[in-house]
Amino acid sequence: MASDDFHRLALEHLDALYNFAMYLTRNPPEADDLVQETYLRAFRFSHRFQPGTHLRAWLFQILRNTFLTFYRLRERESALAEDGVPTWDTPMFHDAPEESSGAVEAHTDLERALRRLPEEFRTVLLLAEVEGMPLEDVARVLACPVGTVKSRIFRAKERLRGFLRDYAKE
Amino acid sequence: MSNLPPDSDDALGARLRAELPRHAAPAHVRAAVASGTAAPRSRPAWIAPIVAASATALALVLALYLPLLPRVVPADPTERLLRSVVAEHTRALMWGARHPEVIPTALPWLTQESGIGLRKVFVGDDQLVFVGAEPVYLEGHRGMALHYRDGDGHLLSYIVLPVAGLPVPDRRRVSIERGASRWRPALMHDSGFSAWVWRQADGQLACFLVSDMVSEADVERFKDYFVRVRVSTDPVPAN
Repeated sequence: MASDDFHRLALEHLDALYNFAMYLTRNPPEADDLVQETYLRAFRFSHRFQPGTHLRAWLFQILRNTFLTFYRLRERESALAEDGVPTWDTPMFHDAPEESSGAVEAHTDLERALRRLPEEFRTVLLLAEVEGMPLEDVARVLACPVGTVKSRIFRAKERLRGFLRDYAKE
Repeated sequence: MSNLPPDSDDALGARLRAELPRHAAPAHVRAAVASGTAAPRSRPAWIAPIVAASATALALVLALYLPLLPRVVPADPTERLLRSVVAEHTRALMWGARHPEVIPTALPWLTQESGIGLRKVFVGDDQLVFVGAEPVYLEGHRGMALHYRDGDGHLLSYIVLPVAGLPVPDRRRVSIERGASRWRPALMHDSGFSAWVWRQADGQLACFLVSDMVSEADVERFKDYFVRVRVSTDPVPAN
């Protein structure tokens, strides 16, 4: 694929990637940096992209991997459940600080509930439900089997419903 | 009106799609990405472990103001390549090493991605701490960057590119001797950074060691760093 074509096609997904970055970082300047870094990597490694495969999923995968590279806890000693997700409510990954300057506030219960989800759960919901990505593509982004994606979606919604119920009682 | 049970999976999915605000990319991000030269504007606090204040300040000034200046692409191939190498160094300074795998764990991956093998590699000592290694793509060449930091917070980037026969300007060569060994790399400057430039692997590889050590007092130490890296690193084309 010619470089110009690749750039043009990649740019078509800019808004979707930025939206995803905002929900991961919760902070516009950090989302800016994350998206720019994603495109830098995509352009740098464009020779590795196979034409005909899913550019959208590839870009989301780069963005998420970039995010995790910088957010991942150094010491990851947590015991994981069989699908790779911790069984308690604390996130597996260190998330962007809620109180950091410039962080975007959650305005609705749904946003608050989504923020409380671990990154893996938040990501599957954002990709599958909000972006409407096929489960096969979500699996590609997360580098896990489709069955795991389904399991995470199910469990993410269970938790989301629980949080929403809690908010409704407040 | 939907007929979905309000607590169902489908209803929750519909709520996510309908109620979550979408964030469109700001114009400045769109412009930066479209130009293909996007660079992080700042080093976010959540990444930064510790960067020496002086190095950060210098990088910020360079990153903010250099793009505003008119850029002239050097006609000389060495200077042109050096400019790209310095840009990569600046990016590493701003953004940090992106693949902090510790050599030799990352060696097979690095070789596969960069096309450059390392028969031996400098992994740091009491003066220089290894920060990270990553593949790079500069001026159409795949290559490898290794980053180190000294005790004063200076970041050093050792970058190897498969550019056979890169001209090393004689008038900028500096003689460096250590014991029975002697080297004559060129000391070059670009955008406020200094760089040692030399050839290795029978001239098949172009090597750069970049830092912000530009003062007279720094040059001697920069020479010492060159020796440490040069003696202990042996890159070869991987194929």
